[in-house]
Amino acid sequence: MNARGVPHPVLEDAPGTSASFLGNLAIVRGALEAGVQFVSGYPGTPASEIGDTFARIASDADVLFEYSVNEKVAVEIAFGAALTGARSLCSMKHLGLNYAGDPIATMPYVGVEGGMVIVSAGDPSLVTSPNEQDQRHLTRFLFYPIFDPATPEDARKMTRAAFELSEATRLPVILRPTTRVCHTSGRVELGPLPRTRNPIRFEKAPERYVPLPENARRMRRELTERYSLAERWLGRSEFFPRTGRGKRGVIASGVATAYVQQVVSELHVEREISLLQIGAYPIPETALADFLLSVDSVLVVEELTPFVEDWVSLQAFRSGRQIPIYGKETGHFPLEFEYGPDLVEDALRRYLGLASRPRAAVRVPELPQLPPRPPVLCAGCPHRTSFYLARKVFGKKTVYCNDIGCYTLGYGEPLDSADVLLCMGSSISQASGIARTTGSRTVAYIGDSTFFHSGLPALVNAVQAGDPITVLILNNYVTAMTGFQPSPTGTKRPVIEDTVRGLGVQEIYSVDPFDETAALEALRKARGGDGVNVVVFNSPCVVNEARLGIGAARAPYVIDEALCNACSLCVRELGCPAIFVEDGKYFIDPDLCDGCDLCARLCSRDAILPMPDHERRT
Amino acid sequence: MTAAQWLTSFFADRGREVTSGQLHGMAQRGGDVSASVAIDCGPSPRIAEGRADVVLGLEPVETARSLPFISSSTTVLMNTRTVVPFVVAQSFVRKRNGGRYPEVSELEAALRAVTPHLVALDFTRLAEESGSPRTLNMVMLGALFGIGLLPDSPGEFLEAVRSRIPPRLSSSNEIAFLSGVRAVESFQPVGGQP
Repeated sequence: MNARGVPHPVLEDAPGTSASFLGNLAIVRGALEAGVQFVSGYPGTPASEIGDTFARIASDADVLFEYSVNEKVAVEIAFGAALTGARSLCSMKHLGLNYAGDPIATMPYVGVEGGMVIVSAGDPSLVTSPNEQDQRHLTRFLFYPIFDPATPEDARKMTRAAFELSEATRLPVILRPTTRVCHTSGRVELGPLPRTRNPIRFEKAPERYVPLPENARRMRRELTERYSLAERWLGRSEFFPRTGRGKRGVIASGVATAYVQQVVSELHVEREISLLQIGAYPIPETALADFLLSVDSVLVVEELTPFVEDWVSLQAFRSGRQIPIYGKETGHFPLEFEYGPDLVEDALRRYLGLASRPRAAVRVPELPQLPPRPPVLCAGCPHRTSFYLARKVFGKKTVYCNDIGCYTLGYGEPLDSADVLLCMGSSISQASGIARTTGSRTVAYIGDSTFFHSGLPALVNAVQAGDPITVLILNNYVTAMTGFQPSPTGTKRPVIEDTVRGLGVQEIYSVDPFDETAALEALRKARGGDGVNVVVFNSPCVVNEARLGIGAARAPYVIDEALCNACSLCVRELGCPAIFVEDGKYFIDPDLCDGCDLCARLCSRDAILPMPDHERRT
Repeated sequence: MTAAQWLTSFFADRGREVTSGQLHGMAQRGGDVSASVAIDCGPSPRIAEGRADVVLGLEPVETARSLPFISSSTTVLMNTRTVVPFVVAQSFVRKRNGGRYPEVSELEAALRAVTPHLVALDFTRLAEESGSPRTLNMVMLGALFGIGLLPDSPGEFLEAVRSRIPPRLSSSNEIAFLSGVRAVESFQPVGGQP
């Protein structure tokens, strides 16, 4: 229920009607229609709304839900639940699947009792990730059935079906949507919500659940059988729809299917084309064989790697069906990044021998240079203060290893606080690696949520080795970047300090970054210290406090024109989005300023002051 | 709700096939955000080059950034109130290119060279006058419905707002919406429906 007592639309019990849902909400709906009983996950774009929605509806929907500390734990907990017969779902972004790699690899061997679905959302074009990766390869690699939705409605039906497939084969199943499905809204049919759910019990059978080599060898043989069963199940399913009777074949998967459908309709070439959608893997041989026999050529339209293209080419070769197959390998499509309607139209025109896409005769306007608009730390963010003070103490030459979170925005001018970055929790280990070979004290930045996600083992390691590293833990009490999900520090107990002490770090400082004297003193001591030391910067995320309606309302600051000498230090050092320069004059936007006082302390002319007579903001 | 979310729910409730796409998540960190709403156009979540019927530009540089989607038959509603990205001040103090936010008149001229159907107004001022700059969405939706491009009337959209928001909250939204409608009273839309 929301504050007005209105149930969340995803809970609507009105089978046969339809609604407009975000792809991620359609996934939640599909899971509810399947009677999901347990949900875990870790936030990450573009999957975050799945966990966030379950967090809101869990008690109304009678679903056990948690945000887990990391994806490995999330997957293992969901698997444990699945062993008791519960239908379980686990959601994460594509990188999360990598983090859960160890349990992912063995789960198909052991097998599930209640159906288990792992949603791992991909990010072609790396909108919010350091890489793009094609999860579909996991089907061959680790024997996962994988669903590949093209639209929110696909996502709903496939999520629901994934639970059935999982129980039919005892295999955990992956659902692999991408950004343009997760964050697209479209019409979704509402199916019935079930009245009964799986009974819960754990039946002891160690030979079934413990993959010691003697059991694992048996499991491996059974796995081949179960994977074949998955292929036959898929062969009888609705997920390989074929439209058209034309001789020019097109095979598409994922959101690319939607682009193909739209372009085919706009070009009015329905009669020339036969379109086969690949909705899941392994691709049933029968679905493909019949299609290949009925067309004279194939254009494969898929994002990321030529996965379907290679599969189709191999099957055509093996079955002796010698027809041309076009796609990425033939240069019809690029090897990187997402597609769009223009790219697909160009390739289809080329494939069908049509004239090139007419470009509107647009007079290219005299366009002034448009300033980019990259994301930036919010005005008042405590991380800005922490980065600024740490750089004052550690200087330009120190190597700063950064990590994944809002504080990644310490990269670039003017804070210049990210020299290297790899993945969740890597800042501490990278700092160890660099410090180990150079002998120089190296700094690692990590946030509270990231620290508990994957920073602990690296810290244990560093302490054992005695690396000269300073770990600056930026605790804003929340998992901010992905949408303010809870962090283990949310209870406000000094759980970071207790943990770090427990791991054997003796030199620990715990400060408020806005207490400049204390913060600088801690940083100086850390810089002069031996081995591993830690400074914990504790200050809540200002945006999170504002949206919760808590925290001190502070007066915005104003620059006194008479005192300001335009020395530019405030802009040059801080990069705060509330400070502007117009016609050579420096000013602060009172609607953006959070009153953190950092620029005022930096100003050599004392020209920056809190606005008097400011109305208290709530 | 964002303007795109309002439009999506409004048209979906009327039984139209709406596909809307967003690249979001960065707006709170000051990054640029865009959304598309396609009504009865098919399943593609992305709009092709030159194929936007309407661009709602809530900020001048961002409106100019959407030029690839604009053709001579696109109607552009551009808010002239700027939000200067922090990189501009950074470039200025380092005396590099990009240290100046372009003149809004230059951006307007560039857009007018492509489409004559451009309304450039300080919609933020109308939002402020209706009570809060946060109602900018509603002001621009008012302009969109007021222009007459859509088959549905401003009154129908207002009904939808009232049914979704409780009365004590909806009044500032209504005032904002209506000020947007009034602001475009004299503007002639592209002939007929898109």
